[in-house]
Amino acid sequence: MDLKERVCGELQKEVPKGASFTNFNTQHQQKWEDPSSTSDYSTRIEPPFQAFNQTSQTQSLLLCNNQIKVPMQDGSVNDLLQASKIQDWDPSAMLNNLSFLGQKIHQLQDLVYLIIGRKGQVLGRPDELLVQQQQLVTADLTSIIVQLISTAGSLLPSVKQTLSAATTSLGQCGEFGGVVFPSSAQGLNDGVQPQNAGGSKVSEPPNSVDITSNNGNEQSNHIIEEHELKDEEDAEEGENLLPGTYEILQLEKEEILAPHTHFCTICGKGFKRDANLRMHMRGHGDEYKTPGALAKPTKESSSEPTIIKRYSCPYAGCKRNKDHKKFQPLKTILCVKNHYKRTHCDKSYICSRCNTKKFSVIADLKTHEKHCGKDKWLCSCGTTFSRKDKLFGHITLFQGHTPAIPSDEIKAAPAGTSDGATNKVGSVNFNLSSYVSSESEVQSSSMDIKGGIDDAVGYFSPLSFDTCNFGGFHEFPRPTFDDSESSFAFLLSSSCNYSQKSGEE
Amino acid sequence: MKKQKPDNLKGFNPFNQLPQEIIFTILDLLNSNPLDIKSFSLACKSFYAAESKHRTSLKPLRQEHLPSILSRYPNIAHLHLTRCSRVSDTCLSFVSHACASSLRSIDLSRTHLFSASGLLGLALNCNNLVEIDLSNATELKDSAMAAVSQAKNLEKLWLARCKSVTDLGVGCVAVGCRKLKSICLKWCLGIGDLGVGLLAVKCNHICYLDLSYLPITSKCLSPILKLQHLEDLVLEGCFGIDDDSLAVLKHGCNSLKSLDVSTCQNISHNGLSSLVSGAVGLQQLTLAHGSPVTSSLADSLKKFSMLQSVKLDGCLISYDGLKTIGNWCASLRELSLSKCSGVTDEGLSSIVTRHKDLRKLDITCCRKITDVSISRITNSCNSLTSLMMESCTLVSREAFVLIGQRCHLLEELDLTDNEIDDKGLKYISRCSQLSNLKLGICLNITDEGLIHIGRGCSKLLELDLYRLAI
Repeated sequence: MDLKERVCGELQKEVPKGASFTNFNTQHQQKWEDPSSTSDYSTRIEPPFQAFNQTSQTQSLLLCNNQIKVPMQDGSVNDLLQASKIQDWDPSAMLNNLSFLGQKIHQLQDLVYLIIGRKGQVLGRPDELLVQQQQLVTADLTSIIVQLISTAGSLLPSVKQTLSAATTSLGQCGEFGGVVFPSSAQGLNDGVQPQNAGGSKVSEPPNSVDITSNNGNEQSNHIIEEHELKDEEDAEEGENLLPGTYEILQLEKEEILAPHTHFCTICGKGFKRDANLRMHMRGHGDEYKTPGALAKPTKESSSEPTIIKRYSCPYAGCKRNKDHKKFQPLKTILCVKNHYKRTHCDKSYICSRCNTKKFSVIADLKTHEKHCGKDKWLCSCGTTFSRKDKLFGHITLFQGHTPAIPSDEIKAAPAGTSDGATNKVGSVNFNLSSYVSSESEVQSSSMDIKGGIDDAVGYFSPLSFDTCNFGGFHEFPRPTFDDSESSFAFLLSSSCNYSQKSGEE
Repeated sequence: MKKQKPDNLKGFNPFNQLPQEIIFTILDLLNSNPLDIKSFSLACKSFYAAESKHRTSLKPLRQEHLPSILSRYPNIAHLHLTRCSRVSDTCLSFVSHACASSLRSIDLSRTHLFSASGLLGLALNCNNLVEIDLSNATELKDSAMAAVSQAKNLEKLWLARCKSVTDLGVGCVAVGCRKLKSICLKWCLGIGDLGVGLLAVKCNHICYLDLSYLPITSKCLSPILKLQHLEDLVLEGCFGIDDDSLAVLKHGCNSLKSLDVSTCQNISHNGLSSLVSGAVGLQQLTLAHGSPVTSSLADSLKKFSMLQSVKLDGCLISYDGLKTIGNWCASLRELSLSKCSGVTDEGLSSIVTRHKDLRKLDITCCRKITDVSISRITNSCNSLTSLMMESCTLVSREAFVLIGQRCHLLEELDLTDNEIDDKGLKYISRCSQLSNLKLGICLNITDEGLIHIGRGCSKLLELDLYRLAI
């Protein structure tokens, strides 16, 4: 009952969360269309973008310039989103969204026309202008895509996903994308840093700070949009890039194996997660308790240009190493870590249940432990399978391999009881036997048919032990009691047995 | 014999001159009556010894005497322990040591108490063991099967009603006993597709396979039908097999001679035709208690020219179906229509007029047939050896005269619950080959008729007079 209630509670909690996305969209859209808020700074940023001022959608220009302040504004974003959660989704909002999207596409079309028209006319600083134009268009495009996705996503029930309280709304956006559209999620993760870098190129710090202070919540809204833009943009660029043109990063072994990646700038304490670091930072003073300081920062660690980043394994000769002929890059740092640990490190985590399986990544161990001992299908060669049909496929394939009978069954063969105690004992035995068998496998490196048979015999070692026991008086009554088919014969036969035994002894 | 004895003791024993082979040949001829063998062995010590060496088959009544019996008979090859309800592991281990390599078959059906360890000793010590019958050992588990799998030369394994055996156990047997030719897994409810499939993959020599009442689907049928030597396939009561899954099967089994798909309600003529596709040599077909026999079902079996025996017990049969069976190109030897509803005079007549070679006909409980059918049957099927017609209540007493007049080769006749009277019995007594006659609940017969039978049927072994009003 407890569990059920909890699940129900969670579900109820989740529903508004799912709705919040759509709310966010509608709200955002309203804000977006608010002319007064945008007009303010469009004039301020005039100098570099004179050519595009005529377009009604100048926000995207701003966004390009204002990327630096993203981390600071996150808190306000959070607030805004929380406020928007109150609203419920309705079809009219969806319609609004869609019509807005259509409008935006038209505007973008106009913009591109304009760029083409003005190409010859603009002189001076052509390089910078080119970059800005590109960013402008891609930003607009990606914003359209993202909106489309989020609009569609709000309709999907699978969006309802538990989100930890610690994750901010930005995180929600990311996860949301990750659930429904994995590819876009990849873009989200990857794109943040390069876009920031691009923003710093444009570099108008004072201006952007000004805007932040002026526009508060509203601006932050745009920045959320901007995040999505960047991500999408990056993905788009990745598609354009030829294979091999992405940037390859290679972390050092020490970096990969470092237990902590986030360090407190004040006391130096390390953390695995930046959220934990932020929680820790609250203890260092009130300035770290502001919503902005507690919000999830965008990853700004790298200062590389807007190129897709892929990772190389530092281990020479590895397929994931950039010098390998058939180099296959790793997508994220997490991939690098897991790959390096799994492939090039000792497997130091040993499953405490079966004592055979070893893992270098603790998460793998935990995953294994969930299933260890359960539904173990064992072959005489010591290989275990989680599914019976897999075991039988294996046996079909290999000559001389037989299914191994769990030793608990051998022990409890005549009794055939189903009480918990014997089962437990059985499972222990079973594990032991599997250990033994795998050990023998290790010892005899070449597993031929004979080896398999030997193993099978080995399984019966407890069985032959039983034979010795069977002469004893204790073993006999059990099966006879159990036998329901001819209970009357019990007296007769047991007396026979006794006489025989005495004869033997 | 008794008079000769003193002479022999005094001087020369002519039997000592006889080579053992001749004595064994004599003993072979004594096999019909166990008492003869007993008196032979009691004649003298040398006869006793000769009989001990000669005997290869043993069916003891009590397991506690096994040690002494087995020490007397060193060459036992076939051991039937069916009369001993309790055979312990120690007993089995004794058997395995005493018989060792001479033992070829052991029957442990109907016995209990033994377990995997006893079987393991048997399998390891008796390396010539070819047959094991473990039927009804419901408490045997996979470990026992693993023990059985150590008998590498096993060719025949009966596991009927070993309910606790699962796929794993059968998998062990499949891997261990590669020479298996006959295996019965009837009622082994723990065995499914995986075990049976593995068996079919690993044991290529299987010719008899009984999978009755197993929870299998047609997944395992694909490897089974690939078996090169499979002749006999029993799929009785396999409810998991249906037409749709059978339609997927690409190839039939060429070597198949006998197929039993009785009680498979989910197999209609479509599934059946895909199951027997390619089985040109099909001789026996059992479709009892299955889907209704219509003309389309009968049509699908038309092309099997080797078909000799068809059993349609308990099926719903249409007139068209019977008529189509009458048009088959094969000449049936054996036909069973017992408890079939829908068998009429016309339908039956159309069959028997075509299949004149019928040797065995079962029309038990075909309550609609009358004298007309009997007349047709006796007219065309003169070589009938077995006629079962219990409860054909519409057949009048005159019809039985025809049976006696025309079917002289009858060996088996079931007339339970019929209208036959003394006159009919008088004619039936002409069937001199009759060995089995059932006359239960025939209320019209008296001592007089039975006297006729007693005089005429000298070969009679079994006479059923259940609830006669004599």
